[in-house]
Amino acid sequence: MRARLPVLRRSRRPDHYPPGPLRDLAAAPPPPGSTPVSQVELLALDLEATGLDPRTDHVLALGWVPVVRGRVLLAEAEEHRVRPPAGVDVGSSATLHHLTDDALSGAEALPDVLPLLLGALHGRVLLAHHAPVEVGLVGAAAMTSYGARPPLTVVDTLAVEHRLRADVHGEVWGSLRLDAARQTYGLPRYAAHHALTDAIAAAELLLAQVAELEVRLGREVLLRDLSPKRSG
Amino acid sequence: MEVELAEVRDFLADHAPFDRLPAAELAELPRRCTIRYARRGSVVLEVGERGDGLYVVRSGAVEVRDETGELVDRVGTGEAFGMSSLLEHRPTRYRCTAVEDTLLLVLEPAAFEELTRAHPDVATFYAATHHARLSRAIGNLQRATSGSTALGTRVRDLLTREPVTTTPTATVRDAAAAMSEAGVSCILVVEHLALLGIVTDRDLRNRVLAAGLPPDSPVRPVMTPDPVTLPDDALAFEALLEMVSRDIHHLPVVDETGRPVGLVTTTDLVRLENANPVYLAAEIGGQPTLTGVVAEAPGIHAVLGQLVERDVSAADISRVATALGDAVRRRVVALVEAELAGEGLGPPPVPYSWVVLGSVARDEEGFTADQDHAIVLGAEPGEDGAAWFAALAERVTAVLEQCGWPRCPGDMMATNPQWRLTVPQWRRLLADWSREPQPDAVLHTAVFHDMRHLAGDPGLTEQVHLASVSTASPRLLGHLSRQALAMRPPLGFFRGFVVERHGEHRDTFDIKRPISAVVQLARIYALRSGSPALSTRRRLAAAAAAGTIDQDTATELTDALELMSYLRLHHQAAQARSGRTPDNFLRPADLTQRQRRHLRDAFEIVRSAQQRLSSHLPPGFE
Repeated sequence: MRARLPVLRRSRRPDHYPPGPLRDLAAAPPPPGSTPVSQVELLALDLEATGLDPRTDHVLALGWVPVVRGRVLLAEAEEHRVRPPAGVDVGSSATLHHLTDDALSGAEALPDVLPLLLGALHGRVLLAHHAPVEVGLVGAAAMTSYGARPPLTVVDTLAVEHRLRADVHGEVWGSLRLDAARQTYGLPRYAAHHALTDAIAAAELLLAQVAELEVRLGREVLLRDLSPKRSG
Repeated sequence: MEVELAEVRDFLADHAPFDRLPAAELAELPRRCTIRYARRGSVVLEVGERGDGLYVVRSGAVEVRDETGELVDRVGTGEAFGMSSLLEHRPTRYRCTAVEDTLLLVLEPAAFEELTRAHPDVATFYAATHHARLSRAIGNLQRATSGSTALGTRVRDLLTREPVTTTPTATVRDAAAAMSEAGVSCILVVEHLALLGIVTDRDLRNRVLAAGLPPDSPVRPVMTPDPVTLPDDALAFEALLEMVSRDIHHLPVVDETGRPVGLVTTTDLVRLENANPVYLAAEIGGQPTLTGVVAEAPGIHAVLGQLVERDVSAADISRVATALGDAVRRRVVALVEAELAGEGLGPPPVPYSWVVLGSVARDEEGFTADQDHAIVLGAEPGEDGAAWFAALAERVTAVLEQCGWPRCPGDMMATNPQWRLTVPQWRRLLADWSREPQPDAVLHTAVFHDMRHLAGDPGLTEQVHLASVSTASPRLLGHLSRQALAMRPPLGFFRGFVVERHGEHRDTFDIKRPISAVVQLARIYALRSGSPALSTRRRLAAAAAAGTIDQDTATELTDALELMSYLRLHHQAAQARSGRTPDNFLRPADLTQRQRRHLRDAFEIVRSAQQRLSSHLPPGFE
């Protein structure tokens, strides 16, 4: 009989992180994967940036909203516009998100906003549509500010949608973009590329996906059913 | 930090009543909402729950159904539900189910409360929605026929008496005495025609007794000064809203000059809302005037309509109809008696009883009943006495006609001196009919065998009724049977419905005929078994118990009667709802396939019972 190999996991112990927002976040992890989604707190996040590459692009706006017990809590929604570092132009990305250099000149600096976001993530799962962008940009920002990436548990509504739509051959039909995915659940159409609106849109999409999953599974949906990924 | 929840705000701004809000207030609302998602088929709010606030449908659709599952409303994008709990501070009476995949905005209760308090038109908007649903839920027929909801009544129309008032310098003892005397729980403090304050039972308890004030303290420090008032043209639901939102139970009503003209209490509003049979009966029984009774009587059809919509059995509805009708009839007889005495004609010259006949006596009244009644006299009344009873009969009949019961076309009413007899006279008449039944007499016997006490001396009624049961000769039974056989169900040889070919009732059949057939069969069985039972159902049961008919026949006929009566009540309720005069003419095309099949079965049951009766007839009666 072969011995079962231990699964290697990167340490997420708080003392792995430098003192400050990252260690605090590591000390307040979300619940385990066996927890029903209805009891898990999530934080839907959307970023607007000059582009999608975390190595070269810069965050221009962040919007987030918690999802608690199946409800999107608008009272705790936040939106922050971020002043890009000196010498960086918004450039042609402004045609998408309508955030011009002028509009951002008086905005906050990312290192000032980041602790607020990390604080809002205490005990919560990060939720985003196509999460690698958010995880990459937030990770890069934390690396700059604190020298480490934040410990995150991440649910990606795009990945959930992919699984829900995959047929027996693993093929997926139709667009998985946020707006397209929402339409399959009869969710209303919002103007895209506004950070908070997109965060709310992703939160609503998750509620619809969980309702759909519950019917398909015939039982309560657990956090692990959403294939959460760890990072940081 | 300013967070712009633009999508949510713009959505609200597009829909009533939020579209009337100032921009600054509107922008505050989204933060006081949560968003929820309900998959098609899932229950958002269950009967007995209080809910989490005001549910606004962001996209999708929700059905609101009452406890019995009847659809009350369908709520689409931009519309709301859940306001009933918020307005009434009690669990909802509805089940709200998503019928499409639905996204919901849930406004927290405190925000709803602040909003309705700051914006009366928002409050009015939701109160109107709430009461429209409530009216639909209780099947308020009155609304359909008179065009106004009960809670759309003006408060001035709710005022039943002048306000009970006192002055600020009067003593607490005087105020309490005035309240006791008038039987009210609240007194208005008035000076120079202006309302200064209000004192309630609770104030006397908390601010006088518990505080140890002497009884000769003045009223002023005890009263609640400057109470909330309503203008007399306010609507009842505005009154309800004020009371609910401020948690008060008494609202003084003032005219345009500010003079107090009365007081509305929560009880007034609850009564208005709950048009239930018990309340209506009590209300009718308490009417001090004939005009008042006439005004209440149309409420009977409203209550019956509700019961029909709630799918209550025809037997129960008929009993309620009869009970409510009796409440009116008893009150009218009592008030007319008092009226005669007040005019110097004195009390009844001899003891008497007022009896009801026919379907009313059998507890089988529906939407359509004629007046059938008579008087049993305890002694010969003499000439003056006869005039007194003639006046009584004429006035009672006239008022009942105003209440909606047409006069009997066959003149079987107490107005006819032929039907105002002493007990021996009634006995002789019944015996005559039994011995030598003339065609007229057969009809009379049928009506007078169904006799029930309404008012006066019940012993007199009892003597006549028992005589009618014991005097049925075989010869009379033969005639009654022939009459029962003439009421053929409208069913053709191949089980098709036989409908009228011409005239006003073309393509319909008269459901009264087969119903009458069962009524007459049951009467014959009851007479044969010597039972004094009155209702058709009881007569069938009594006949089966006595072995006059077999149990299966009794059960089948009872079921057939229930089905036919049920369809008739639904037909008549629909007519009453659309403002038409209820009749007995059913159109087969209006029935569902299932109803038609059951109705054919019912007709078959009646027909075969008639055939069995016909085979038992004595010679000469087939």
